[in-house]
Amino acid sequence: MARTLMRFTGVGGQGVLLAGEIFAAAKIKVGGHGLKTATYTSQVRGGPTVVDITLDDEEIFYPYANDGEINFMLSVAQVSYNSFKGGVKKGGTIVVDPNLVKPTDEDRKTWKIIEIPIITIAKEEVGNVITQSVVALAIANTIMKPIDKESLIDTMLSKVPPKVHAANKLAYDLGEKYALASIA
Amino acid sequence: MATREIISSGNELSALAARDAGCKFFGGYPITPSSEIMHEMSDMMPEIGGVCIQMEDEIAGVAAAIGAGMAGVRTMTATSGPGISLKAENLGLAQMTEVPLVVVNVMRGGPSTGLPTRVSQGDVAQAKNPSHGDYKSITLCAGSLSECYTETVRAFNLADRFMQPVFVLLDETIGHMHGKAVVPTEEEIRDGIVPRKQFDGPAEEYFPYQCEHDQPAVLNPMFKGYRYHFTGLHHDKKGFPTEEIETCRKLIQRLEDKVELHKDEIELNEEFFLEDAEVMIVAYGSVSLAAKEAIRHLRAEGIKAGLFRPITLWPSPQDRMRELAARIPKVLCVELNIGQYRDEVQRSTGRLDIEGLFKVNGRPISPYEIVNKVKEL
Repeated sequence: MARTLMRFTGVGGQGVLLAGEIFAAAKIKVGGHGLKTATYTSQVRGGPTVVDITLDDEEIFYPYANDGEINFMLSVAQVSYNSFKGGVKKGGTIVVDPNLVKPTDEDRKTWKIIEIPIITIAKEEVGNVITQSVVALAIANTIMKPIDKESLIDTMLSKVPPKVHAANKLAYDLGEKYALASIA
Repeated sequence: MATREIISSGNELSALAARDAGCKFFGGYPITPSSEIMHEMSDMMPEIGGVCIQMEDEIAGVAAAIGAGMAGVRTMTATSGPGISLKAENLGLAQMTEVPLVVVNVMRGGPSTGLPTRVSQGDVAQAKNPSHGDYKSITLCAGSLSECYTETVRAFNLADRFMQPVFVLLDETIGHMHGKAVVPTEEEIRDGIVPRKQFDGPAEEYFPYQCEHDQPAVLNPMFKGYRYHFTGLHHDKKGFPTEEIETCRKLIQRLEDKVELHKDEIELNEEFFLEDAEVMIVAYGSVSLAAKEAIRHLRAEGIKAGLFRPITLWPSPQDRMRELAARIPKVLCVELNIGQYRDEVQRSTGRLDIEGLFKVNGRPISPYEIVNKVKEL
């Protein structure tokens, strides 16, 4: 595979870090290289957070995504969307939660913007807002297909406590369903 | 060498390495971006009969760790630059009393509280001389996830060999990045441990600081029947304060010479595409990752660039840097500070035309910035 660069952005406390760790670990387990880096502010809750995920069959040295090369971004906070959208390459895909992020008309011409109510899905359909990171994980993998679905789910389940396996599996299925509908 | 794969972060790997290297005590005070090391130690130490204690501040954290070292166990603290500033006085005490200790510093923006969550390499000069007085720092710097593990292990072994604090510098990027590390098995690590020397003769003949001019003190664990004295004052062979002229001179000269005359046991570097290089980039820590990526791009364009990466920052690999700089026309130091190591490269090589690419705004240096700088040279 060519290098896949994905960026998840939100605000501190939303759990965007975990999705990055799951992607990197899953890629390594299936036999490749994966790196996750996170950047956050000293304002622990509520500050803009960005997670860069680099997946490649070749060894990866520099762990951050270079601006202008990012294939896919997902954002659940306007402040982070505004700060980090510029890193996505023209024509790349950006998934936003439309209740939290309002892209401009210019943005819609520059990138392929997909709107999925990620937080609402986690809160109301799964019944646990914390599962939003797994909804996001499923959306990213369904659209970008960097990793075999079953391998990714196995890795995801290994990183969450057994008592929430069912909720997280449901979150993955819902994320996949919405993502498929959005690109149909 | 038998190896294993671990998927983890740099900080977590450093903690795991400490456990595998036989560390039984962690004293500290959590500080971003090093806190995960203490989190991990607080889980692991009780499981193996060790102790992890959060003290009231950074000063007490290192003091507790030094106390454990006096009691004979492998001991560690972890912090960031502001913590080192606070610990400096006690680090001087450990240098003077020759207590082995591993100090991990996950560097963030400074001075003062600086940029708590952002990357920096601003503590390179601090690691050379954190406290006053003459002594030789041993400072290792991890340039990959695997090295967060292996350099922490090496730090424990060097601390016991040279009987002094050993620094491991990580930076925010490498401490927090998450991916694959390939490291030696636990058995390999255990087999490589050489415990610190101990005296086993009659107690009345034990003089911990009576040693060869280039060798460290031989400190038996406290409370085991061998009585001696610890003090930060200049001291005699039994550890008691003295102002006797020759004893004072020999003590401080020995602190210097025990490291300086055995640098070959400490130095470690990586050379990446330097055989035919016309441009030598000098970088360490996470910046070396950007440099390697840059070298890939530059080589693809026919520009013969290579990397010299000191893994042991102090004592510096001055002889090797001088040899390389004698044949490579252009030298560029890339650092997340304003040339703290370039000063050392200039000193080592005797060249004042060493170029620099520096950044101090808490953001990483990208491979493209290095590519562009090399093309400008």
